[in-house]
Amino acid sequence: MQANFRKNYYGYLFIAPFIIGFLIFGLYPVYDTVYLSFTDTTIMSPNSAQWVGLKNFERLFADDFFMRAVRNTWLIWLLNFIPQIGVALLVSVWFTSTRLKIKGVGVWRTLFYMPNLLMPASVAALFFALFSFYGPINQFMVKSGFLPEAMHYLQNTTVTRGLVVFIQWWMWFGQTVIIVMAGMTAISTSLYEAAMVDGASAWQMFSRITMPLLKPILIYIFVTSLVGGMQMFDIPYMLTDGRGSPAYSIMTNNILMYSKFSSSKGHIGAASSVGVLVFIMTTVIALGIFYFLRDRDSQ
Amino acid sequence: MLNPLNNYTLKTNFQRFFVYLFLVVILVISIIPIWLLLVNATRSTPEIQQGLAFFPSTHLMDNYRILRSKGLNLWLGFGNSTFISLATTVLTVYFSMLTAYGIAVYDFPGKKPFYNFIVVLVLLPLQLSIIGFYHYMSKLGLTDNYASLILPAIASAAGVFFAKQYLDSMIIKDLIDAGRIDGASEIGIFHKIMLPIAAPGAFTLGIFSFVASWNNFFNAFILITSLDKYTLPMMVKTLRGDVYRTEYGAIYLGLAITIIPIVIFYALFSRYIISGIAMGSVKE
Repeated sequence: MQANFRKNYYGYLFIAPFIIGFLIFGLYPVYDTVYLSFTDTTIMSPNSAQWVGLKNFERLFADDFFMRAVRNTWLIWLLNFIPQIGVALLVSVWFTSTRLKIKGVGVWRTLFYMPNLLMPASVAALFFALFSFYGPINQFMVKSGFLPEAMHYLQNTTVTRGLVVFIQWWMWFGQTVIIVMAGMTAISTSLYEAAMVDGASAWQMFSRITMPLLKPILIYIFVTSLVGGMQMFDIPYMLTDGRGSPAYSIMTNNILMYSKFSSSKGHIGAASSVGVLVFIMTTVIALGIFYFLRDRDSQ
Repeated sequence: MLNPLNNYTLKTNFQRFFVYLFLVVILVISIIPIWLLLVNATRSTPEIQQGLAFFPSTHLMDNYRILRSKGLNLWLGFGNSTFISLATTVLTVYFSMLTAYGIAVYDFPGKKPFYNFIVVLVLLPLQLSIIGFYHYMSKLGLTDNYASLILPAIASAAGVFFAKQYLDSMIIKDLIDAGRIDGASEIGIFHKIMLPIAAPGAFTLGIFSFVASWNNFFNAFILITSLDKYTLPMMVKTLRGDVYRTEYGAIYLGLAITIIPIVIFYALFSRYIISGIAMGSVKE
């Protein structure tokens, strides 16, 4: 017993590299970002930086660009998240249905997931090429008569935004299917059998058994997707000119942060304040979701 | 008179038909952009401009020559990305396993809060640290240096989270005790007994960290400035730029080169990847 107790302190040795790595590469940069957000530091003159208090934040709230970036990011995220979770639920119900007995579930799932692994930078460049003026989409649309003549898709704000939404959906719904399915197969089949005996309809089984038991998984998907969505960068950056064109319709939080960072003087103080503010916003919403969806019965 | 059972099967078959139809439609949507990319990589620019095709042509080598002639050394980016991804993967797998093993096996004071903290860290967005990270690395003179991309892998919260989920499902205390009786050191038990047994989990974790590092654009884009240190996603940005403006065949080929390794990777290891995603999320 005594020996075992002493051995337990070896745990600290095992986690020590992580802690050291985290202090150096994780915690300090977070501290530095928060600190920078209260200063007017630029890359060009890092030593003459002044403490400016909340000025960076005041400027952001007064800045139409910031509000626009926040709106864009939310809009693009929500519009891809809703069909993503919707299609994933639908497909997962079918895949796990003992009545439909869908064949090759593993193969379907594997193929649906593939876009998720592709390099986002390349995916955006690919869609740029596909939707370019002389690209395959125009050829198809004109030849099949859907459009009278070729159009500049990426100069149209609605189409461009829709395209970012689509790409995000395309890359992520397969992953959501896998996670939702894992959650559904963990639900005991005896619950469904009992419901069948009681004459429950498919919809009743879904809404009264599947959905409530799936809640923790759905919260997990929601929160991870929200945190990821608020950081969206590669796709909107690479799809057009890197500034959110046309008309800043796909300028996201991170694109705005990057453009402050890469501006001629390199306003890293102002860029930090974008990061900090978006973090606060994301955290408040995520905690709110936890609070509202928490299991009230178990309390 | 209609047999109610027949009616039931009929309805099921009818539904099944629409389910398969829907699945095929999503499958086509999932695959077609990638297929068009691969096909167009083998077609000449005039062919591409003439119309759609779903089967490869014969201009792969011509496209390759054009791709190379414009001064973009994609293979350099390929090599750089491979090096960074491999180094990141080795560090992530080893240190995540080490940390997770420490949490799973030893009951030290503060273990619970430490693990909860790691779970919170998984969700910490990059925005909150990247600018400070850049600022701090530039003070250390480590911008434009691969160390700034590779070393943070020592403290990968997501890696530890995954490794902990995996180890919890397979750690055998008896084996550890047997090792102790044989006089192995604690770290020796981890290296000689646990790591070999946990190899499948380590491998899955390795796949995820390799793909994540391979595809990572933002960090490298912020930190790396020298052309000869560009990673593959950064070169995609060049490919997307003015130099290649009208060379569609070469552009498609360049993009295909960035994507094909991952597609091959996936064809070989999809089983690990799919089960890994399910494991990372569902806690029983």
